Amino acid sequence: MAAETEELVLPEPKTGTSGWQEFSKGFIKQNPLMVLMVGLCSSLAISNRVENGIFMGLAATFVLVCSNVIIASIRKWTPDQIRIPIFIVVIASFVTIVDLSMKAYFPAAYDRLGVWIPLIVVNCIILARAEGFAYKNTVFRSFMDGLGMGAGYTMLLLIMGTIRELLGTGKIVIFDKTFISLGAFNPPAIFVLFPGAFITFACLMALLNRYKMGKAE
Amino acid sequence: MMSRMVKLGVTLMVVGIVAAFGLGITYAVTKKKIDQENKLAEAKASMTALPGIKSPAELVEDPKLLSAVNKKYPDVQKVLSSRIGDIFIMKTKGYGGPMELAVGVGNDGKVKGVSVISNRETMGLGSKVLAEENLAKYRGKSTSDQLVVGKDVQAVTGATITTRAVTSQAKEALAAFSQLRGTGQD
Repeated sequence: MAAETEELVLPEPKTGTSGWQEFSKGFIKQNPLMVLMVGLCSSLAISNRVENGIFMGLAATFVLVCSNVIIASIRKWTPDQIRIPIFIVVIASFVTIVDLSMKAYFPAAYDRLGVWIPLIVVNCIILARAEGFAYKNTVFRSFMDGLGMGAGYTMLLLIMGTIRELLGTGKIVIFDKTFISLGAFNPPAIFVLFPGAFITFACLMALLNRYKMGKAE
Repeated sequence: MMSRMVKLGVTLMVVGIVAAFGLGITYAVTKKKIDQENKLAEAKASMTALPGIKSPAELVEDPKLLSAVNKKYPDVQKVLSSRIGDIFIMKTKGYGGPMELAVGVGNDGKVKGVSVISNRETMGLGSKVLAEENLAKYRGKSTSDQLVVGKDVQAVTGATITTRAVTSQAKEALAAFSQLRGTGQD
């Protein structure tokens, strides 16, 4: 009996950081895409359009926040040996909820995002936050962490989407409204295709590293 | 040892049951809406594919017609008939994934319109093929046309695969039509 209870002893929740810090670290310091470098696959694929970024970002944030909260609140009853299957069940459920709701209420966006919505299940950001953060922290902190990570992810999708859509199609169209138009010019379609994703991402990485190096000196 | 395994199993089962319950509710809530959206998209596409049809009520889905052509032309998903022509709901693979089209063929055996129900083509390239201005070039085509990309159908630059997919569907719908109705009566 003693051995069993011992396994359930949790690491001490981290103290010394405020909820706000847990939230804001997702933007630059621990941005899931730029710094942690997780969840890149889907981001590169769908960031060819600002509108995709909005939907994908919201969907992933919803799943992140909900799964973080649930996992943090059941962490005391979650046996260590089966925590991963439990995380996956929780995450997959929320992803399916998003998948079905999006199909019902935003069919056009769902059509475009296609397989990437169900694939949020295997998005490393979410499992990494569940295992690396929510399992060891309080519900409130996990909530803030999920929100911050989601916001950081969304922010980057929007930046990449803006660059790629503007350069690749010459205009930015969100919800059938044209926001920016570069007028008459023949846009290089490579930016909305996969190579454009790598080029854009690499440039953003270079910029961030330059900024970090400048700060360190 | 045994009791621990049981405990782990039960824990996992409880989590699974709760999750399944949640999903069941979501499914029940969204199912109706999803079906509605699908129907709506199809109805909208049908009305553009066969100008003259003002409401989905004018279209009759005929499973007999479908089973008559479906073996030879497996891309045909549905045949909707009306007094002015037939609409073939086609499903094929584009460049980016599955693509559903509605091809309207008038009683004269000519394509009256092609419209898109759903697609996953690349924005800026494949999507250009699916724009209304481009789909208009299929209008008036009949079985006497070759409908071959590079011959009588000009591919959109950078989107040959999408163009091929749409063209083959128009051709198949025409072939299915002529099997059902003959070459068409003028």
